[in-house]
Amino acid sequence: MDPITFSIIRHRLFRVVEEAVITLKHVSGSAITNEGHDLMVSLYRADGSLLMGGVGFLHHLTSAAEACKAVIRRFQGQINEGDIYLLNDPYTAALHTSDIYLVSPIHHNGVLVAWSACFVHVFDIGAMNPGGFAPDATDIYSEGFSSPGIKLVAGGELRQDVWDTLLNMVRGPEMVALDLRSMIACNNVARERTLALVEKYGPETFDQACQLLIAQSEQRLRERLSELPDGQWQSRQYVDVKGTVHRVVLTMKKQGDRLIFDFTGSSPQSKYSINCSKWASIGGLFAPLFPLLCYDIVWNEGVIRPIEMIAPEGTIVNATRPAPVSVATVGAIQSVNNAACSTIGKMLAASERYADEATAVWHANHFAIFMFGNNQKGNQTIGILTETFAGAGGARTFGDGVDVGGEIPNPISRMANVETIEATFPVRYLFRRRLRDSGGPGRYRGGTGGEMAIISHDAPDGGIDYVLSGKGTKFPMSDGLGGGYSGSSNDYVWIHAPKDGRNTDRFAQTLDGITGDKEPISWGVFPLRGDDVLYVRWNGGGGVGDPLERSIDMVRDDVLGRTISDEAAREIYGVVLKDGKVEPDATAERRKALRSARAGLEIAQ
Amino acid sequence: MTRRRASQTLVLDDGQVCCSACGHGLVPIGQSWKPRARLSSVAVASMPGAGLGIDQRLELRLFTCPACAALLDSETALPEDPFLEDIIYA
Repeated sequence: MDPITFSIIRHRLFRVVEEAVITLKHVSGSAITNEGHDLMVSLYRADGSLLMGGVGFLHHLTSAAEACKAVIRRFQGQINEGDIYLLNDPYTAALHTSDIYLVSPIHHNGVLVAWSACFVHVFDIGAMNPGGFAPDATDIYSEGFSSPGIKLVAGGELRQDVWDTLLNMVRGPEMVALDLRSMIACNNVARERTLALVEKYGPETFDQACQLLIAQSEQRLRERLSELPDGQWQSRQYVDVKGTVHRVVLTMKKQGDRLIFDFTGSSPQSKYSINCSKWASIGGLFAPLFPLLCYDIVWNEGVIRPIEMIAPEGTIVNATRPAPVSVATVGAIQSVNNAACSTIGKMLAASERYADEATAVWHANHFAIFMFGNNQKGNQTIGILTETFAGAGGARTFGDGVDVGGEIPNPISRMANVETIEATFPVRYLFRRRLRDSGGPGRYRGGTGGEMAIISHDAPDGGIDYVLSGKGTKFPMSDGLGGGYSGSSNDYVWIHAPKDGRNTDRFAQTLDGITGDKEPISWGVFPLRGDDVLYVRWNGGGGVGDPLERSIDMVRDDVLGRTISDEAAREIYGVVLKDGKVEPDATAERRKALRSARAGLEIAQ
Repeated sequence: MTRRRASQTLVLDDGQVCCSACGHGLVPIGQSWKPRARLSSVAVASMPGAGLGIDQRLELRLFTCPACAALLDSETALPEDPFLEDIIYA
């Protein structure tokens, strides 16, 4: 087709998605959507296949395609102009129940020409724990409202009975209603703008452009894969919950223009809600694949075709109903993200042409902390600590990772200002900062994670409670690359204030400075009351290359900038400092000793 | 066969997987090279920056060239778990 017309339609589709995202954010009132950008908007072909993937959490792009296909199967012959369907069943297509998909058919003159789909993590879904993540859940039945597909809007008219039924099952129904309305508005804008495009160029030209767009993406990814070396690369992620260690094991094989992700060897599905369904695993592996291999290719069905996934049924990455999955997005799915990021990074590093595109694993361990209770304004409130979206960049083969630099699966993730959280919840931050020694050591260091501490403040009920789905304290998950070490692990500490109130410093600036008994916690529901404190530290990104090859000046700068400690400089990087200045002779000796110790020649002192 | 890249630290040369720093041959192409590297390990819990809850058994495995001691790769693992195998096909 005419290349100019094709380019215009392609760019217009980008803009349709972009405008729909803006609409979603304008209508939504929740921090998780507006600050954390825990959202996704994409366009799909009439058959439900991905046409134009948007930004947000990328593991939803393929799952929402499956949601469209599930709706097509269920409502065949009853899909009409102006309808909007809701789907959030993880065993049908969704990732977990609290990430609701709203999918809208787009008709032109009565003919279905496309779909728009979006999601947000809704305020609540009626699971046994507030906020949607349910560490106490033993099965899908305790994880809240779950629909394999229901018509929410019929011919442009809201189905009040369905609406009322859904809102009757959730906490904070007015906030859930706002979430749903933001998605309805988003889909309406996507539909109107797409229709305007179809009107302008005609349905035949639009269809032709869509087919070409997909064919072009497939061809370009296959060409890229053909340029990369054939081989296999492995990754292993440990996911610990209450003393039980689960493994996500990946062998990625690249042969010609195909890529196979084989999760054989992963742990059996867990009794804990970290499992994920098959659709979620597919989404999980595509989340890093889109930006790492397809940064200049349109994310659509064409990118999916060269990829195959093997995930044995009954494992943590392909759980069977009714296994609990509400923590999947920060559980097995994120480990699939990490494992795929690691193996793709290794493959890229094996290529002369693409080595500069390789990366160690970024922010590999979300911590889902949902606070709930009454706030200082007398309102019931539920919401996530958005620091989990702050992330940490993995190092690259040419430079350090970005401190608190986001994550691969969501290129637009970010955290809210402290003031936003303090205005929403009855808490006060003692501190929030980059975490020293958290970036994975390497010739190029991983970006740092962070640390924070909060205390209750102006709480009508004396405090607030929180749900913690905090796996990842036992094992670092942001793997290094090419000899680089992993970024640090997470920690969650409940500091019990002294009962007599003595020595309490309500303005402490470090974990050590906070008075009281420190209890490591990771999984369940906990109180934050009185002068008790919640301390959280989150992981850094993985490093690249040998730490002993890091520039001595860069190590010194890291120490002076409080990015690494004197101890790390000496013990890991082999750089000896005195009063902030490098001791050249001692450094040379130290590096020599550390190299010798590795080689088994002598023990480093 | 010309020398070509196999990873950040390894090259393929003359049918062998070799250390890119010194050229030492480890194994024929298509085989797992880690068993032929020198292995040392460090308890992750002992390293600066280790978290409060870190698993005491977790080790950082360092694979170095037996000829020149260049660091070829690292991985964190529990002792009972096998090496991660990264293999470039011929």
